[in-house]
Amino acid sequence: MNKILLIIQREYFSRVKKKSFIVMTFLTPLLIAGVYAIIGYFTYKGIKDTHDSVAIVNNNKTLTEKLQTDKNIEYTYIDKNLEEAKKSIGKADYDYILYLPEFTLDAPKGIELFGTKQAGMSLNKRVSGDIEELIRTQKLKESGISQSDLDKLKTEVDISTKKIAETGAEEESSAGASTFIAFTAGVLMFMFIMMYGIQVMRGVIEEKTSRIIEVMISSVKPFQLMMGKIVGIALVGLTQFMLWIVLTLAISTAAVSLFVNKDDVKEIAAAQAQSQATTGNPTMAAAATQAGPIGDIQKSLTGLDVGKIVMVFIFFFLGGYLFYSALYAAIGSAVDSETETQQFMMPVMLPLLLGYALSLSVVTNDPYGSTAFWLSMIPFTSPIAMVVRIPYGVPNWELALSMIILVVGFLGTVWVAGRIYRVGILMYGKKTTFKEMFKWFTYKN
Amino acid sequence: MLSVKNIVKQYATHRALDDVSLEVEKGKIFGLLGPNGAGKTSLIRIITQITAPDSGEVFFNGERLNTKHISQIGYLPEERGLYKKMEIGEQVLYLSKLKGLDSAEATKRIRYWFEKLEMKDWWSKKVEDLSKGMQQKVQFVATVLHQPELIILDEPFSGFDPVNADIIKNEILELNKNGATFIFSTHRMESVEELCDNIALINKSQKILDGTVDEIKASYRSNTYWIEYEGDYPVDSNDIYDVLQTENVKANTLVKLQLKENRTANEALSLLLPHVNIHRLDEVIPTMNDIFIEKVKGKNHE
Repeated sequence: MNKILLIIQREYFSRVKKKSFIVMTFLTPLLIAGVYAIIGYFTYKGIKDTHDSVAIVNNNKTLTEKLQTDKNIEYTYIDKNLEEAKKSIGKADYDYILYLPEFTLDAPKGIELFGTKQAGMSLNKRVSGDIEELIRTQKLKESGISQSDLDKLKTEVDISTKKIAETGAEEESSAGASTFIAFTAGVLMFMFIMMYGIQVMRGVIEEKTSRIIEVMISSVKPFQLMMGKIVGIALVGLTQFMLWIVLTLAISTAAVSLFVNKDDVKEIAAAQAQSQATTGNPTMAAAATQAGPIGDIQKSLTGLDVGKIVMVFIFFFLGGYLFYSALYAAIGSAVDSETETQQFMMPVMLPLLLGYALSLSVVTNDPYGSTAFWLSMIPFTSPIAMVVRIPYGVPNWELALSMIILVVGFLGTVWVAGRIYRVGILMYGKKTTFKEMFKWFTYKN
Repeated sequence: MLSVKNIVKQYATHRALDDVSLEVEKGKIFGLLGPNGAGKTSLIRIITQITAPDSGEVFFNGERLNTKHISQIGYLPEERGLYKKMEIGEQVLYLSKLKGLDSAEATKRIRYWFEKLEMKDWWSKKVEDLSKGMQQKVQFVATVLHQPELIILDEPFSGFDPVNADIIKNEILELNKNGATFIFSTHRMESVEELCDNIALINKSQKILDGTVDEIKASYRSNTYWIEYEGDYPVDSNDIYDVLQTENVKANTLVKLQLKENRTANEALSLLLPHVNIHRLDEVIPTMNDIFIEKVKGKNHE
């Protein structure tokens, strides 16, 4: 036991003391905060600065209501025909020409938008939305509803989603925040398992190629050496993770309080909500939520059980990492150099990638469906699938079952890997095959 | 102190050790010889508990080999290395702590050895900055630092220049004088003759020869002598000896004689003494190298 501690110590400190670790640990939160700041800044600027001027050539006699200018778009009715307007577009003070031909209000057809540059998606949506609104208003007026009644019809609705917990208590929840957390957790989990799993493999290969392995295992058992390395690197991962959380929170809190004006935040949130509604695309909506300023997220976070999410994340990180890193250790022991690892990496990477891809698409769309359930049970995919599901809420029995399966799973992979490892580390110069690895596995003692 | 009894080790298709037994006496330097692939490393790995035999037993000081003996054995493998990015001092400290030394004691001993082997300034150097010979010195220190009773060295001199090889050889002899037992695996027969008390020769998974170096050499004596003399006297075969070879070296003559059965060198000398001036008489004893080659070749040709 004492020897395992010594090995853990060495594996841990030799990595934590490395320059690259220190640089990565301190730079990454800055980078993340920086990226958010940039996205936030440009989203904000983009929404605030959008200003298009659209000249309207109206050939339609039936449409008597007029499009209303607001601070993002300026509508001007001009007294030219379409040809004249097109000719003068470069010189005149409008960027686009909206052509409204003759049509009936029931079937508006042939509306065209000309510009010196291609009109963007958001402008297109905006203008067509405005026209739809215009036609509706006119129809309503024609059926005898007064302007004042129309104004009364405009009510803003803000739905707050609440989840009824098993205890019957209502919990405040936010679909946007959940999706954001789910995405972040999924991506982080994938990154962590990959990064640290590969570090284990590299460590094993290093011991093999530097030929220290035989010196080591004349003092310690191969299994102790393997577990010491795996645990030591897990601690490095946890250290990095904790530092990232602390640093990211510190930096972003500082940034938010320094640079972001509260009113702007609300304005942007509203604008984004609108754009999500019009595009109607859930992934875009999720992306927009992700890209939103940190203040928005922090506000939504209050509805989630952050403590539980972090605990579950840490548990599944450790479990998933142990599960995969044991396999990586076995791969490392079977090869002489990193270039030979390819053929073995594939079968290990595939389930992880599959879990990652499915978790971020299927599971975020339907976190309670059967795909989500099974992905979060099978230990190959459960670390990612479960942390993606957890922000939406997962029944406790499912969580417990998944945890138990994962523990059994990693005990299994550690056992299998240990048997391959003990033989593999002493094999040099032979190209290893799966058949060979299976033979090692079956060796006695 | 170490008895290996009827060890069999079978790998998938080939038998690495086939019923090998040997005894290593306390305080001796034991040479484990054999051509490449004979099974030496497999045997050493069993003694160092890296692998276990399929059958047979190993006893260490009369006790069945177990994990507590790990700290009493020092092993310098042929395929040896160090962590490239780790500082030398820290590295040796780590390796000796794994053998059960505590930090303070290990540090003290490392300083002693580093001083002794002229590597004082190496403590905070990294392995990648050292030459191969320097690395070997570090490895040697790491092997003996925990003062093991049994030290197993696999090709300890490969990679050393003659000066450093000599330094290491003297350290081995000094440790041996202070009571350490050595198992010494090598192909270099000259170092065997210099250092080893006993040897075992393993070929094709089997032990084909063992005993003390002197005994083995004696058993390969063929009653042949070189005699160098001064004087003009023709030496011919007679009923005491056969003349195998005659050479002239400057003013002297050199003859190689093989004594006939039950004749002694004294008889040959008394025959010659009245006629010539004897300068030298040497018995022709085969070198370990000759014996090694003869045994291995003979076996391989069967």
